[in-house]
Amino acid sequence: MNIGSIVFVGIDDSLFKTSLMNRGYTVMQVSGVSGIMNINEPFDLMLVCGELVADIDNRSLEQLYFANNSTPVALLLKDHRAITRQQLETVSAGFIDVLYDFEISAGTIYPRIDALVINARLNRNMRRQQQDFENREDLEKEIMLREKILIHERVVNTNIVGSITSGIIICDLKGTIILTNKHAQGVYSSAKADIIGLQYDESLVPEASSLVDTALKSIFSTSRRTLTKKIRTGDFFFAVYCYSMLDYQNAPNGILMLINDITEQENINVLLYRSEKLATVGTMMSGIAHELRNPLSIISARTQRALTKTGHDPEWLDKCFKSIEAQTKRCASIVNNLLNFTRNTATTSGYNAVYEILDETLTYVEYQNIFDNITVQKRYEKELLVYGDRSRFVQVFLNLITNAADAMSGKGLLTIVTRQASSSSTLIEINDNGPGIDDTIKDKVFDPFFTTKEPGKGTGLGLAIVYKIVLESNGKIWFTSKPGSTSFFIQLPSKKERSHDGATVNRG
Amino acid sequence: MTARLLIVDDEPDFLDIMTEFLLDEGYEVLAAANGEEALAILQKNSFDLLISDINMPGMKGFELLARAAELYPAMKRVLITAYDVRDYLNMAKNFNIGNIMTKTTPFNFEEIKLFINNILTAAIFGLGKYIKGTVHQAAIRTSDDIEIVNNMIIGFMNSDRHKRKFRQVLGEILINAFFYGAKNEDPEKKHGWNFNTTLNQGEEVLVSWARDNEKSGVSVLDQKGRLKKNDVIYWIERNTTKGDDGISLGLGDCHGKGLFITREIIDRMIINIEPGKKTEVVTINYEEGLYDGHRPLWIQEV
Repeated sequence: MNIGSIVFVGIDDSLFKTSLMNRGYTVMQVSGVSGIMNINEPFDLMLVCGELVADIDNRSLEQLYFANNSTPVALLLKDHRAITRQQLETVSAGFIDVLYDFEISAGTIYPRIDALVINARLNRNMRRQQQDFENREDLEKEIMLREKILIHERVVNTNIVGSITSGIIICDLKGTIILTNKHAQGVYSSAKADIIGLQYDESLVPEASSLVDTALKSIFSTSRRTLTKKIRTGDFFFAVYCYSMLDYQNAPNGILMLINDITEQENINVLLYRSEKLATVGTMMSGIAHELRNPLSIISARTQRALTKTGHDPEWLDKCFKSIEAQTKRCASIVNNLLNFTRNTATTSGYNAVYEILDETLTYVEYQNIFDNITVQKRYEKELLVYGDRSRFVQVFLNLITNAADAMSGKGLLTIVTRQASSSSTLIEINDNGPGIDDTIKDKVFDPFFTTKEPGKGTGLGLAIVYKIVLESNGKIWFTSKPGSTSFFIQLPSKKERSHDGATVNRG
Repeated sequence: MTARLLIVDDEPDFLDIMTEFLLDEGYEVLAAANGEEALAILQKNSFDLLISDINMPGMKGFELLARAAELYPAMKRVLITAYDVRDYLNMAKNFNIGNIMTKTTPFNFEEIKLFINNILTAAIFGLGKYIKGTVHQAAIRTSDDIEIVNNMIIGFMNSDRHKRKFRQVLGEILINAFFYGAKNEDPEKKHGWNFNTTLNQGEEVLVSWARDNEKSGVSVLDQKGRLKKNDVIYWIERNTTKGDDGISLGLGDCHGKGLFITREIIDRMIINIEPGKKTEVVTINYEEGLYDGHRPLWIQEV
């Protein structure tokens, strides 16, 4: 049992030490004041004894007292005369206690030492408690500070989430919605103000819900972490992006959904689409005006001859009328083509012989000067069909053929090839032997407003529209280009496909 | 001797009509469906005139005429098109072709006949060739006469359409004939011109005008023959071609604007030239709507 630790400072006889140890004290011995510094464990009393008592001065005593956290210091004196005057000053100042040899033999010294040790211990405990108390105050201060920061951050986060113009929905791995902002309301299934705590499949519109569903199912597969979808609700269009949310260890812990209102953009696209269609109509109109001149002049010439020539030979008249009839039909079909193209109804899909569409398209452009020195080579497989809206295909081919002619600066060979791509698709290749598409712009050719033509000569929308039409027709478009040979490939379905819900379009 | 014509067109119906019509007119006619076929026929037979469509698959009309000019320089050549001749002015300049007929609606058989006849014979001068009605004539000797004759002709026109159109161009044509044609003034030194000039005998500008039931026309003839076919095509083309700034190349020129404006405003502008002898500018305007928008290129040098 250890009831306390006592350090003897100075040399003393061992009987007293032994009795203290018997009593339960741990006793340590240092020869001088400076030896105290080498003691690493706590102690409760310093007993200055032996020869040192006579030599030790006030300063050293105070040093001992203060250097050891007010651990009591006692002088063990032979008798009451052994104390110096100076030493008495420190006794009276309360820094040290005085013990006498006789007290050892009388046995009265032990209770006094016990009292000093207990006192020291109490003091030390009190000091520790005070220290602890002071530490807790600091801790409380820090906690309050952290709380303030946290509140601030939460306000900032809430403000960010609330002020951001994109809608945000976060749900956990179980599909419970844990965070939303007001812009997310566009994809709520009903006019609920708050869906936090609900399951995604009972709170979001079906398209958004199915996207979350897919995202949740694939969340642990590394391959696909971003899903994109265009969603229409009423008059609004939203681009919805679904991301896997990762924790600090890169483990998925939820789904983050961003919802962008693209209604305005979509409306602009519709307008652009319409304006591009008008531009195409413009090209076709002037082509048609030109195309009509030939049959009209023939009809006029035939009629005049039939009217003025005397001696009506029935066979000859028959020839005239048949010619007039044939040329009239030609005029009608030219005009009908334009009407078909401009008719603003929903897409009228059907089966068409692809070579017929290509030939029709060529009639709209071939009269143009730029085609004067262009040889058109056709390699058609005539039985091939394409399924879709004929007038939109005309627009696609018109753009690609005009671009090819422009690319060759009106001189060269334009080759149009059709062939079967698969059992359910037809491939159309439009090749020119112009200088080719520069590597630096290859990834831009389908971008809206990108044009290599001079100002005023191209809207830069042609290929963007072509791209859109081909995609919407469930087709594909790509190109290869090197100096002297540029080919645009269009693969179109030759059979009606079962419609699938809103193709996900990722152009990378 | 009967003239032999070769007509080339990829429209079988048109070929048929033209062959029939020209046979009726007393020509010998052969037909070809394209340039290659025409060249093959030309190898075996000689012709007085080659009539070719411009826009055909394979060899185009301009190309065919250029080949024919190399191989058979004596043979006359003319192009024909259903399309707008303005689109072909650049080619006309490059190939030095002054004659492009138009397939108009209504089809103008009379004009085709006249055009072909004009090319085959050198007898191209005189308004009477172009209009059946009574021809009125006047000679301009002094610069003051220009205004007088101009007013006489405008007064003669029997519709606002004719009056308006001729008023826009006739003054310009008369001034050109008087100062450039007869006097040979430099248009770039207009400030130095003597406006009180009298032309010598034999230098007068001869003006004639007439009308029939479908058109009115004016002929302005100088007796010097300074104008050149190449220059006329060059000026007309230059004024219809836009530069990089979108402005007509001929806008700043001193020459040629009168001819360009006349061609734009009046339905027909026919220019007959006998180098060193005479230049005749025939302007013809049809009644409302007839052959509107189809303007042949009709420049003859004999």
